[in-house]
Amino acid sequence: MSVDLGVMFGLFLSVVLVNNLVFQGFLGICPFLGVSRKLDMAFGMGCAVTFVITMAGVITWCIMHFVLHPVAGWALGDPRALNFLQYVAFIMVIASMVQLVEMYLKKFFPPLYTALGVFLPLITTNCAILGACLYIYMKDETQQLLNALIYAFGGGIGFAIAIVIMAGIREHIRFSRVPRPLQGAGISLLIAGILALAFTGFTGIGK
Amino acid sequence: MGALETVLLASAILFGVTLVFATLLGVAKEKLRVEEDPRIALVNEALPAANCGGCGFAGCADFAKAVVEQRAECTGCPVGGSKTAERIAQILGVEVVRTYPYRPVIHCRAKRSDKLGIVPYEGVASCVEANVVGVTQGCTYGCLGYGDCVRACAYDAMRMEEDLPVIDYDKCTGCGACVRACPRNIIEQIPFKQERMLVIACANKEPVKCVKAVCKVGCIGCGLCQRLFADLFRVENNLAYLNYDNYTGENDEGNETLQKVLQKCPADVMVYFGKPKAQYAEQLAREEAGHPV
Repeated sequence: MSVDLGVMFGLFLSVVLVNNLVFQGFLGICPFLGVSRKLDMAFGMGCAVTFVITMAGVITWCIMHFVLHPVAGWALGDPRALNFLQYVAFIMVIASMVQLVEMYLKKFFPPLYTALGVFLPLITTNCAILGACLYIYMKDETQQLLNALIYAFGGGIGFAIAIVIMAGIREHIRFSRVPRPLQGAGISLLIAGILALAFTGFTGIGK
Repeated sequence: MGALETVLLASAILFGVTLVFATLLGVAKEKLRVEEDPRIALVNEALPAANCGGCGFAGCADFAKAVVEQRAECTGCPVGGSKTAERIAQILGVEVVRTYPYRPVIHCRAKRSDKLGIVPYEGVASCVEANVVGVTQGCTYGCLGYGDCVRACAYDAMRMEEDLPVIDYDKCTGCGACVRACPRNIIEQIPFKQERMLVIACANKEPVKCVKAVCKVGCIGCGLCQRLFADLFRVENNLAYLNYDNYTGENDEGNETLQKVLQKCPADVMVYFGKPKAQYAEQLAREEAGHPV
């Protein structure tokens, strides 16, 4: 198993900027719009998601390659025969991970725990995380554990960048005169759309 | 390979993986246990769970934590009033002094016909905007009448009548949203010791001549009430104030000095807010609510 730095860097850049989970995959929109009112909270959420997504990516990779594939290959003859289990197994892993992170934060970072409030359990059903885990399985490069880790971490960083940019803009929007029909959710969705358009400018970088 | 085998295998794998994670979570729960004061949960249960933020904290749970950590008074919940305070005090094992529910009253009684110097105003129909414009009416202290307080009320307890807000005290929870919404700060929370409380319904601090020029029912700061009943009334900056520490609201009708004040007040700014007592309800039913006595 050779370590190809070029591939790794390309993978990282690709998932952070070009194939950003939020702007290109439209995953994780719920926390993206829900927790992006304040910059510090958005940053906390971005960190939490990055942490969970990295852990979940690695563990789901291990489950796929060390449990589902060998067992299916040994018992059923076809390594991919149990692939339908990945959704259930992945969701379970992610849910457990979030529980773990929640307990950890409550113990060691109580302010962050109270600030994230209801949104921490929301990570459990955050499609960005499940999406990243499923992408890892589908991509050729991420069949290596190290690349999978880079990809998952990059996905989390991409989400964090997206939500922090969004929070920065929304903090400024508060001081501008928004037409009444667009106030609140309307203008947020417009900003998100324009941001997504802006991110299409990265298309072509890397692979 | 049959379908049955696949199903059995799938179940076995899921069972195994679940077992691993359940064990992990179980261990983590023990290792990462946070010692939390059990009284926080008890206090939280005793609270009304309205999460209105009227206490100044972010919701009932936050207030419960603050009370247990002695960062807040156990009487701090404006919605629950004395009943909640007593229960919290019981949980915390402290004595509680009798408290009263705080409810908003309006320090202005000028209906549209009472106001002078009204200028046609075509701007945004909101008190905040009208207050910035500043010249929509003569009185720079009184109610603007565009109903920001009514829109702020989450309990449908306010309505506008002739450009003056009227509070439905059956629905009001005392959360203070209207107090914060009013740009002129003429809504105040007072302790409702009785169903019906006396209020000085004016906020104008100008001398008599200026008040008379802008309002038919403004307090002119003559000081008569202070001279007659100094325990209860005080005049400062040309405006009368009622001391709610000394005012009980009980037996107003039998209090001769108070009756004298009410009769002699030249500006008619003393108004009752809230529900009248049962024995006077019938007599007052013919009059408007919030009418001067």
